Amino acid sequence: MTRFLRSRQTLILGTLSMLGILAMWQLSVSLGLINPFFVSTPSLVAQEFWVQFQNGDTMRDVSATLYSFVLALGLATGVGIGLGVLAGWYRDVESALEPFIWFKYSAPTVAFYPLFIAWLGYGTPTIVAIAFLFALTPIYANTLAGIKNVDRDLVRAATSFGARPWDIFLRVALPGSVPIVVAGLQLGVGRALTGVVVAELFGGNAGLGYSINYYAQHLQTTKMMVSIVIIILLGVALTQALAFLESKTDAWRVTPKK
Amino acid sequence: MVAVAATAPQKRVPEPARLGAGARSSVIGFCSVAAFLILWQVAPEMGWVNGRFTSQPSEVARAAVEVFRTDNFLHHARISLTEFFLGFALALVVSVPLGVLLGNSRLARDIINPPLMALYIAPTLILLPIMTIWLGIGMASKVAVVFLGAIFPIIVNTMAGMREADAKLVRAAQSFGATRMDIFRHILLPGSLPSLLAGIRLAVGRAVLGVVVGELYVSQAGIGHQLVVYGSSMRVDRLLVYALVVSVFGYAMTTLVRVLEGRVRNWRPET
Amino acid sequence: MAQIEVRNLSIEYRLPKGEGTFTAVDSVSLDIEAGEFVTIVGSSGCGKSTLLLAIAGLVPIADGTLTIDGDAVEGPGPNRSVVFQEASLLPWKTVLGNVRFGLEMRRWRQGDLSKRAMQYINLVGLGSFADYHPHQLSGGMRQRVNIARALAVDPAVLLMDEPFGALDAQTREVMGDELLRIWERDRKTALFVTHDIDEAIFLADKVVVMGRNPGHIKDVIKVDLPRPRRGEMLDSDAFAEYRRRLRAHLAADMATMHLVREAV
Repeated sequence: MTRFLRSRQTLILGTLSMLGILAMWQLSVSLGLINPFFVSTPSLVAQEFWVQFQNGDTMRDVSATLYSFVLALGLATGVGIGLGVLAGWYRDVESALEPFIWFKYSAPTVAFYPLFIAWLGYGTPTIVAIAFLFALTPIYANTLAGIKNVDRDLVRAATSFGARPWDIFLRVALPGSVPIVVAGLQLGVGRALTGVVVAELFGGNAGLGYSINYYAQHLQTTKMMVSIVIIILLGVALTQALAFLESKTDAWRVTPKK
Repeated sequence: MVAVAATAPQKRVPEPARLGAGARSSVIGFCSVAAFLILWQVAPEMGWVNGRFTSQPSEVARAAVEVFRTDNFLHHARISLTEFFLGFALALVVSVPLGVLLGNSRLARDIINPPLMALYIAPTLILLPIMTIWLGIGMASKVAVVFLGAIFPIIVNTMAGMREADAKLVRAAQSFGATRMDIFRHILLPGSLPSLLAGIRLAVGRAVLGVVVGELYVSQAGIGHQLVVYGSSMRVDRLLVYALVVSVFGYAMTTLVRVLEGRVRNWRPET
Repeated sequence: MAQIEVRNLSIEYRLPKGEGTFTAVDSVSLDIEAGEFVTIVGSSGCGKSTLLLAIAGLVPIADGTLTIDGDAVEGPGPNRSVVFQEASLLPWKTVLGNVRFGLEMRRWRQGDLSKRAMQYINLVGLGSFADYHPHQLSGGMRQRVNIARALAVDPAVLLMDEPFGALDAQTREVMGDELLRIWERDRKTALFVTHDIDEAIFLADKVVVMGRNPGHIKDVIKVDLPRPRRGEMLDSDAFAEYRRRLRAHLAADMATMHLVREAV
């Protein structure tokens, strides 16, 4: 029995700690320590979640957010990998892009948010543009690194068998960089989600970020908490999905993972 | 006796410098920036784009002078900087000890990990509206958002650094009778520094983002506030000046951490 | 009474996940006299390193007894120090800092630590590299530092776990000569684990041959070559005879080899 408990310790304690947090949250309000206006309670949030789920609010918000998210991530993946491959293979392209990437690295994209509103108006285009820029950098940077750091021994081996540069690109560099590109995607997913919900906070007419802001303006804490919880769950789910994808590409690794 | 100095120290020799390649790369980089600036300057004048929406490099330069001279720039900068450093300092004070604890205690890790990981993954910026309800529209809510943005990457990386301690070094220290405290001080702590700094570098990015988003959301002063002001009045030139200020600050802070990382890595073989 | 007495010693590892244990060393007995240089040789997975680490007090004993000067070994102690294979130097400390580190951990109180550390750094011939960091040194130099660190704490027994295992063949020979030169000074008891037959014979007063599945002692061979040892001895007939005997033992072990999880 103790052995069973020991081997399941992580799972058991993790569950207990989540339940403990919920219990503390509920109790601190029930005992009158905190005004529920500020924090709501788990039971209220659960009820509200059920209501929103049934009347379709949840579906509407989640699908709006996911729509922007998928568009932004798709664009960022296409552009990031495209540019990354070009820059990784042609040094001159890398040199030409480098100053802009540097700038992009250090500039918080949101600082340009008002500009995007001016160009693209409120709503989905601006949200997608912001999230696209959020997600672009890690995907580009990882693709670049993956193509550039192609294993020299493999290139030599391929060349000794008469491979031409194009063969090396297609058969060595591209497959060899898959794991690191996937790692970049993993970062990109998190950043695209941040980009979408942050942009929705400011301007939008649907989506989880929009709802959080809307309910905050109307001081409806419980409804706001529902959206916050959904975003957290969404983040965990997306990360898990990417981790799964990464484990699938692990076999590709030329060198064993440290 | 055998000649001892026969083995010379293996100083890491940098790759044979390809002078041409480096120079070519900077020339191309310079040209691409120049081309971009020229295009940006010329496009509105040729009527290709509406200058009201894009401004021009010359206008931005002029606006920069105006902003630094007359726009109460220092006042706004001071407010944003205070939010940044206060939130970041609080995050450091809480996250480093917590990361150390989590790295060394399985029990603590099992208890704290699930909520910690959920919050590490989630965009903490979504808590901004509720922070505003709790703490008002002043600096406190921004400090809170900076704190929340910065704390998780530092905890997670400190924890990872502690756990990745080299088992060989621990064993060697034990063979000399090192106590748990000795091992912590001499092996775990210095060994986790690179990882801790990597966490701090991530946290800097998130903290800068927190200040800007916090002030964009609702504020009465600060760099983000000025972004809103000039965004809504379509002063694209001034808007860009403030955006550039944020970029330069973010770049400077990140570079600072990178320099520290480089120093710490000095004793590390580049693997 | 021998200085180190090993009686029916067994060591087990708990296997990760699943049930059960792995017997790394099975009922081994061995005597090591004070001032003796003993090498343990065997193919990988024979438990030779495990036995050494047990004597160092770094690996728990499952069964049997292990005493040094009559005292049971219950953990690392000031009468022993260990030279590890590689990468056991703190990368953020200099050569001097690393040698000092051993003294600091031993709570060395006599005199100036840095002075004593320098004395041993000079002894291994690294005097002018005291301020270097490990990554700036070659593999051979790093092992010199490891040896200096182990000797500086003045142990009664010096334990060496394949210290030259990661070095190339030439450096290895040089280091063997060096080690003997230093050892000849005060002839502390030395236990040296290796998988290199020539190295085992060249250094030893006594070679312990271990076999695996589970780890046990197959033979103990006394080496009667005169000291100080010289490189030319490697070509002598006497040496060839020792070499032949050891190879026969190890070849037999290879023949019965099947896949074994390498015990670390």
